[in-house]
Amino acid sequence: MTTASSPAIKQWLVMPSQVALLCVVWLAASHVSQKLIPAVPAGVIGMVLTLGALAMGWLPLDWCRRGARWLLAEMLLFFIPAVVAVVNYSDLMLDAGWKIMIVIVLSTALVMTVTSLAVDACYKLEIAVRRRFRHLHSEA
Amino acid sequence: METLIAIICFVVTVALYFVVKRLYKRFHVWWLSPLFAVPVILVAGVLATHVSYSTYFSETRWLSWLLGPATVAFAVPIYEQRALIRKHWFPLLAGVAVGMPVAMLSSVWLARLLGLSDMLQKSLAPRSISTPFALAAAPSFGAEANLTAVFVVITGVCGMLIGELMISLLPLRSRLAKGALFGAAAHGAGTAKANEIGAEEGVVASLTMMFGGLATVLAAPMVGHLL
Repeated sequence: MTTASSPAIKQWLVMPSQVALLCVVWLAASHVSQKLIPAVPAGVIGMVLTLGALAMGWLPLDWCRRGARWLLAEMLLFFIPAVVAVVNYSDLMLDAGWKIMIVIVLSTALVMTVTSLAVDACYKLEIAVRRRFRHLHSEA
Repeated sequence: METLIAIICFVVTVALYFVVKRLYKRFHVWWLSPLFAVPVILVAGVLATHVSYSTYFSETRWLSWLLGPATVAFAVPIYEQRALIRKHWFPLLAGVAVGMPVAMLSSVWLARLLGLSDMLQKSLAPRSISTPFALAAAPSFGAEANLTAVFVVITGVCGMLIGELMISLLPLRSRLAKGALFGAAAHGAGTAKANEIGAEEGVVASLTMMFGGLATVLAAPMVGHLL
């Protein structure tokens, strides 16, 4: 019985233990951030360290892939408690809420327009440069 | 009693999230999006039962805490997509270089135009980047961190809602542009939406969000002086 169920249990533990590993990296990074480099946020330090460890082959991708997938897939859940904080600002929201909404909606639409048009233009440029480069190569 | 209420808040938040997420997958209407429906129900519940936010947050803060490890987790998709980054570094860089200043300046200037207070202008400045980055940048801008966190999430919901409309209005050709649109304007929430549209859009959104957040945090001490 135990021998039959142990692989299943092991499978089931993979994701939580990988999440725990990423939590440990985060804790270590926040320690580093507080003690040594307060200008750089802990998340950035942890991310760069993890990326470096993956690139150098010190950390096998299989050790953290499923945990990372889960954390990123459920990220909306982690935002929710912060939104409920609007109850602390009910006066402000009643008073200036509509103006704040105008700022956010207009600015978001503007950022979307400018960013996507810039990326599209640069993408076309990239293709043109690459084509020209290939053309020059084939001529030579 | 206080602890019991706090634990109930935690359980209700998590349960509601998974129920709404399942409903959203099934029916696909915007008001069932977890980032919109769940907070609306929770705010109504908290107001109706007179539970204070500090009680609500005392156990649910563990959920917020997981945003930290989630930021670290971005190393995995970045590593997996290193070929895409190498190939398209130029448009990706352009998205960040254009999107981030526009987000900060347009927020502050629009807020100023509408006569919002100095504190609100500053708290709106980092609203388009992911929460952990926005909270890191908030002190440099002179922003109130709690308000910034709320604005970040409102921005995320707004971006999820208007993103597809903007894509249909704009003459966009590449998947890169569609992904960058969500990543630059609506951080993690936008990235979730971009993932619904396509895998490449999702990856580009998460890259734009990551590098945009990073760039904003690093530039914040300088920009903060100018605002």
